[in-house]
Amino acid sequence: MWTNRATTMVAIVTTAFTLACVGVFLLLYVNLLAAAGWLQDDVKIMVYLEDRLSSDSVADIEQQLRSDQAVASLLFISKEQALGEFKAQFPSESHLLEGLGQNPLPASFVVALSPSFHSLDAINRWAERVRQVAGVSKVDYNQDWIDALAKVIHSIELVAIGIGVILSAAAVTIIANTIRLTLFARRDEIAILRLIGATTSFIHIPYLLEGAVLGALGSALSLVMLKFMYELFRQQMRATGRFVGLDNLIAFLSPSVCLALIALGMGLGFAGSLVSIRRFGEAKA
Amino acid sequence: MALLEQAPKMIQLIHVSKRYDQRSALSDVSFEIGKGEFVLLMGPSGAGKSTLLRMLIGAEQPDEGQIFVHQKNVTTLRRSEIPYLRRKVGTVFQDFRLLPKKSVFDNVSLPLLVQGISSADIRRKVTEALRAVGVDHKRDQLPAGLSTGEQQRVCIARAIVNGPVVLLADEPTGNLDPALTSEIIELFKLINARGTTVVVATHDPLVMEQVNRRVLTLSQGTLLPERRVMG
Repeated sequence: MWTNRATTMVAIVTTAFTLACVGVFLLLYVNLLAAAGWLQDDVKIMVYLEDRLSSDSVADIEQQLRSDQAVASLLFISKEQALGEFKAQFPSESHLLEGLGQNPLPASFVVALSPSFHSLDAINRWAERVRQVAGVSKVDYNQDWIDALAKVIHSIELVAIGIGVILSAAAVTIIANTIRLTLFARRDEIAILRLIGATTSFIHIPYLLEGAVLGALGSALSLVMLKFMYELFRQQMRATGRFVGLDNLIAFLSPSVCLALIALGMGLGFAGSLVSIRRFGEAKA
Repeated sequence: MALLEQAPKMIQLIHVSKRYDQRSALSDVSFEIGKGEFVLLMGPSGAGKSTLLRMLIGAEQPDEGQIFVHQKNVTTLRRSEIPYLRRKVGTVFQDFRLLPKKSVFDNVSLPLLVQGISSADIRRKVTEALRAVGVDHKRDQLPAGLSTGEQQRVCIARAIVNGPVVLLADEPTGNLDPALTSEIIELFKLINARGTTVVVATHDPLVMEQVNRRVLTLSQGTLLPERRVMG
């Protein structure tokens, strides 16, 4: 590695920039996934009841909901409470309801689902089931929002995979070229080693390790760059004062993901070396 | 052809031919070299001497024929087996092929290093080899600080450090003056006297004059009738 110090440094830095681009998308993806999780955790499902339902029927429905293992908490809002809340929230529009003569707002249950039912599919299935319950007129939740977020996450996932594959190939090429330069600079030494009885693995292993170390160093450097950018971003958010509290919600990659990225860099470096060694071997064969 | 039937065969070529594009490098070459022999492979440049030596260490494959070295069929060896053959065959090159940034000691220790031999054994064997060729006092110098003759001695030390059964030398005196040529030839005779089979490829008549041994002559890839030079 120290034979071509300048080339090695350039390779590490270039690999770091390349992997940092992958890291940015990963960071975006991880945070959006977390945000989706919070939104889903926070989903309140409104179970609206039909008008003129007897109190026994309401109690039946409540009993049914309470015994449902998907339900974490339940809050009953009577027609009167709903009207009160409406008036409190929209005082200027409350005259509109007064003109109707009677309270048009339905009674409802506000349901929070337990954590194991927070996936979009589980919410959909649960809502569909409750819609069938006698006395329930409508089940509502911010589905559009969740759907939209799921779509955005899926798109980012695809873009991240696409960009990740392209940039990983770029990292492999960068490292392959660096190793090729090293192999070229040491071609006489390699030829001599071959002639005096060195096995292929004896000759190749140092270069494979060199590629792996280059990849790991590039990956580690990319994480340092990413962490720096992340802190800078949070600082900027705090400085603007608009997103108070949000800066604490944005998370950096977890230690296990960081380790996985370093391992990925190592793997890419190893692959780059392998590519060069194969080509070099073919040229010498 | 019954050559040296009394001695065990160390090298055997059976109807070996090799072509590069349209040019014939070796044409139907057959001979045997017995264990402990000293053989000169003579012929002008381009006669096929280097090709033949390269074939003996598996660096080239013949188009036709078979080659046996130390009872191994080189033509059917797997690539992974070739390094083990080369550990039994020491090679001396005209251009020395020494690593310029490594000391004399490190250069000579290379064949042992690739076999994973312990550093204590390496120290002992390298010292023996350097003493045998008379350059032990230069062990810490870089090749560039040595004379041409000394560089060739280091190259020979590297070739014998492993205790090879065969020593191949390709134009070992090509860069040397007559006095140095004599010294190197004497060194080869000494190595041969210890039981190592020695094959020296050369076009230098001076070498032939100094060696009272078997001579195989190649001319345009063909083996000429054999002769023995009396020194």
